[in-house]
Amino acid sequence: MIYVIDHKDSFTHNVVHQLSLFDQVLCDDFSKVSKSKLNQASTIVFSPGPGSPKDYPISSKIYKKFKGKKKIIGICLGFQQILFCEGASIIEQKKIYHGFQSEVLVNKSSKLFNNGQKFKVGRYHSLKLKEPFKAENFDITMRCAISGAAMSFENNIDKIYGFQFHPESFLTINGKILIKKILSA
Amino acid sequence: MNKTNILDQISLLDKPYIIYRSKKGFCLYTDFSKKIILTKKNITSFLKKTNQKQKKLKKTDLYVGFFGYEILNDLINVKIPKQKETNFPKGIFYKPEKIINLNEDLQYQPQKIKKTDSKFKINIDRKNYTKIFNKFKTKIKKGETYQIKICTKYRNKSKIDPLDYFCRLTKTNLAPEAFLIKDKEYSIISCSPETLIIKKGNSISTKPIAGTLKKNPQLNKYKALNYFRKNIKETKEHNMIVDMERNDLSRICLPGTVKINKEKIVEEYKDLYHYVSLINGKLKKNVQTIDIIKSMMPGGSVIGCPKINTLNLLNHQEKEERNIYTGSFGYIMFNGDMKFNIIIRSILYYKNVSEISVASGVVIDSNAKNEFNENFIKAKALIDLYK
Repeated sequence: MIYVIDHKDSFTHNVVHQLSLFDQVLCDDFSKVSKSKLNQASTIVFSPGPGSPKDYPISSKIYKKFKGKKKIIGICLGFQQILFCEGASIIEQKKIYHGFQSEVLVNKSSKLFNNGQKFKVGRYHSLKLKEPFKAENFDITMRCAISGAAMSFENNIDKIYGFQFHPESFLTINGKILIKKILSA
Repeated sequence: MNKTNILDQISLLDKPYIIYRSKKGFCLYTDFSKKIILTKKNITSFLKKTNQKQKKLKKTDLYVGFFGYEILNDLINVKIPKQKETNFPKGIFYKPEKIINLNEDLQYQPQKIKKTDSKFKINIDRKNYTKIFNKFKTKIKKGETYQIKICTKYRNKSKIDPLDYFCRLTKTNLAPEAFLIKDKEYSIISCSPETLIIKKGNSISTKPIAGTLKKNPQLNKYKALNYFRKNIKETKEHNMIVDMERNDLSRICLPGTVKINKEKIVEEYKDLYHYVSLINGKLKKNVQTIDIIKSMMPGGSVIGCPKINTLNLLNHQEKEERNIYTGSFGYIMFNGDMKFNIIIRSILYYKNVSEISVASGVVIDSNAKNEFNENFIKAKALIDLYK
């Protein structure tokens, strides 16, 4: 079972629908997370949402508790939430992407996708990862083809994955394949 | 009744009625046997009435009316701080005993009224609008909202004949969701272009509008489409609404069934062009009327995104209640089939005051002057009726 923690976003149910193609999915608001569902879940997903990671201490706690024990996936805010827990700073960016389709490029540190592969993806983010960023076993594996901003990470040791873009958006071409890859990793 | 002067007759009878755009023309609903004024307390039990599994439905087995903005916030537990109130009801539904089909060309001889005052007052001037606008731009930079719609109101104090206004409006602007409610205490005159929900059996669809372009003689529909496609700001705004509406449908639909049927097409109206998409899905089993209302309303395209946080930001900013504005008008059959629009481009006529509310979106690359002007374009077709 995949347990989605919803940060009151207007895209969370698109994520739920996309994940439902592969497994049973349960979803609760971040303020109403159930311990037993967390324990039952094989995968925990941190949803997109407004604001910044520091606004969601409950999600940070969940991440720290289950890191290494279960597969964890973060999308948009969820991506930032995981990196924030790993010591990253999440900062405002000069150019803001809301409802923007852009190209991301896979680099050689990816174990799941081919180096040089490009994807057209939908983006909805005001904030971004401050770089340089370093955390054990974490690699930035996709970047915006134009700005170079971090778009995806992989931690294949602890099975932790994240996308800054929205694989569930209609703007993302083949988003289903992206999700399938990390679910089966 | 003779159909040619049916509107003349009904205006003399002094009983409430509703006219709503239908596929072929209009439907006139009247002879109301019940009038339900919605409150926080009765709304749930009211919605339960429409989950009956009836095999044979009469044409009149339905409730027609509207949900105001505030009661829709109540339903999804979003609080509204104290605002300037007009004590207008939060929602009203009527049970008609008679439905008459009318054709597109509404004929009506208006009552004689002294010349109406054509002056409108705006509640937020450009200076204040710019201030609010800049405040929300900062919030967008921080990621608290991605798009937010600020509401401004135009008011006029004078007596009007609502049926006359509605008929004239349909002549210049035959909007797909046009409606008139004429009751003793109030009227709503609307040329809403936006369908929020069409639900029949287990099929449901929504048709969000995001993107407005003022007409000029050099433009046509094709050029308008080109404009929208090339305009990154309009495209991004529209994309966001499409993903949000997909999300709202996904709450109540079977996984894999939510599809974009028409992606980014142009519709033409009297003063403007709109950028529109059509999204549909198949409902999960056991979805009740209340679940549909709660996931789809208030309609995302007139609020902003993400919905809940943006509603909270809006409600703390706006000093006057939205009343009917960005609520929904339509009907629910006793078996749960329904059609609802979003109440925009509408006049609320109450206690001899006409109130027209409009909103346009703040996104990261919009500018205050353009959005302030867009608001006026949206209100213009209605304000022109008073001349």
